[in-house]
Amino acid sequence: MHRIAHFICLLMATVLLSQGAAAQAACTAPAADCMVVGEWNIGLSLGLGQRSNPIEGSSAIPLVVIPQISYYGKRFFLENLELGFTLHESDNNTLSLIAAPGYDRVFFYRNDLQNYFVSGGALGLVSTTQHNVDKYALTAGEYPIGARHTTYLVGPEWTFSRGRVTGQVDALYEVTGRHRGYEVRAALAAPLMQSEDSLTASAGLTWKSAAVVRYYYGIERLYQPGAALNPFLKLAYSKPWSARWAFNAFVHYEYLDDAIAASPIVSAHGVTTVFAGVVLKIL
Amino acid sequence: MASPRCLQALFSRFSDRIGSCCCLIAALCAFAGAAVAAPAANSDSIELELRPRVCTLSARDDHCDTVVEAQWRSPQNESLCLVIVGRPEIKRCWENFSAGLYSVKLVFSEDLVVELRDPQLHNVLVSEAIQVIKEALQLRRKRRQPWSIFN
Repeated sequence: MHRIAHFICLLMATVLLSQGAAAQAACTAPAADCMVVGEWNIGLSLGLGQRSNPIEGSSAIPLVVIPQISYYGKRFFLENLELGFTLHESDNNTLSLIAAPGYDRVFFYRNDLQNYFVSGGALGLVSTTQHNVDKYALTAGEYPIGARHTTYLVGPEWTFSRGRVTGQVDALYEVTGRHRGYEVRAALAAPLMQSEDSLTASAGLTWKSAAVVRYYYGIERLYQPGAALNPFLKLAYSKPWSARWAFNAFVHYEYLDDAIAASPIVSAHGVTTVFAGVVLKIL
Repeated sequence: MASPRCLQALFSRFSDRIGSCCCLIAALCAFAGAAVAAPAANSDSIELELRPRVCTLSARDDHCDTVVEAQWRSPQNESLCLVIVGRPEIKRCWENFSAGLYSVKLVFSEDLVVELRDPQLHNVLVSEAIQVIKEALQLRRKRRQPWSIFN
């Protein structure tokens, strides 16, 4: 928990240091970051990419087609699989209640919606490698792992901007009755370059309560981990070609906390996601 | 010293001249008044009707593209021209007509003002406008998601 406190202090310091920064421009015309209320926005990213899979014996998840769907009402919004209701919105602060899917399921089910059009069978058995056998003095072999159902987490989200820096903090609770765990997602993003092209760096972390970590990475009577704190870094580049077409690329690395990485079913200490492709705005 | 009879004669001649002068001025005034009042009297009786009366634009449209129909009528014959403000290429004239109809396909994004003017185009006799009403576009900032992989 002390690491969370450190992060929050760092976050607050960043925010306070940038208090004097100018407010961002008001939304006066439809643009990439200004949405028309009451209209659907549908886009498609076509390209090549993959997400590494830290689950033992699982291959990387290919990313080829990434649909992007959003709808903004006066207060309601839908962003792909996340939806929310904005309670307060000003130039620099937005407070919403959101519902977001549990992220970790993507490693267990290729057909999880969060893997977007990526087909593949679900994992039912995990083989222990010699590495994990050594770690836990297990007998090499296979053992069943429980089903990881689709879950949704609900809670408040605070998004703020101070000058060029955008920050976000989500405090979420699982409401679909699978593990009743908590997650805190927090991140900061800043443009490194912003002309016609944009290059944005993001850094943040996800804190998962023990209930979340056990649901995904625990093994009954064998491995009961505690809470985990995963930091991440992301670099995203985008270049608009026209009103409908753009080029988009990103690389994202998430470091997995020991509580996750030490699981017998996990064989990597991090997850890398890369993608490069064209974005087509359909609507 | 002049006799009273002489003074009377002198006054009589002077007052005749003043009287003539006043008559002349009054006649001139009446003529000028009539001349000034004439177009006003005509324009009051000329009716101009435009179709459509308004053009409503949806949030996504930025211009009206429609056939504009202008119809005028008057109790007496008129000589006049129809013009559209800001469109010097559009001009339609009638000579000694009591009614007229003109239609033209136009693209416009601001209020369209149609005028009937005298043949010399100096005086505006009647003016009407087609109002452009734009549906207000409601915008809100896109949710920023530094946490998300795909944003």
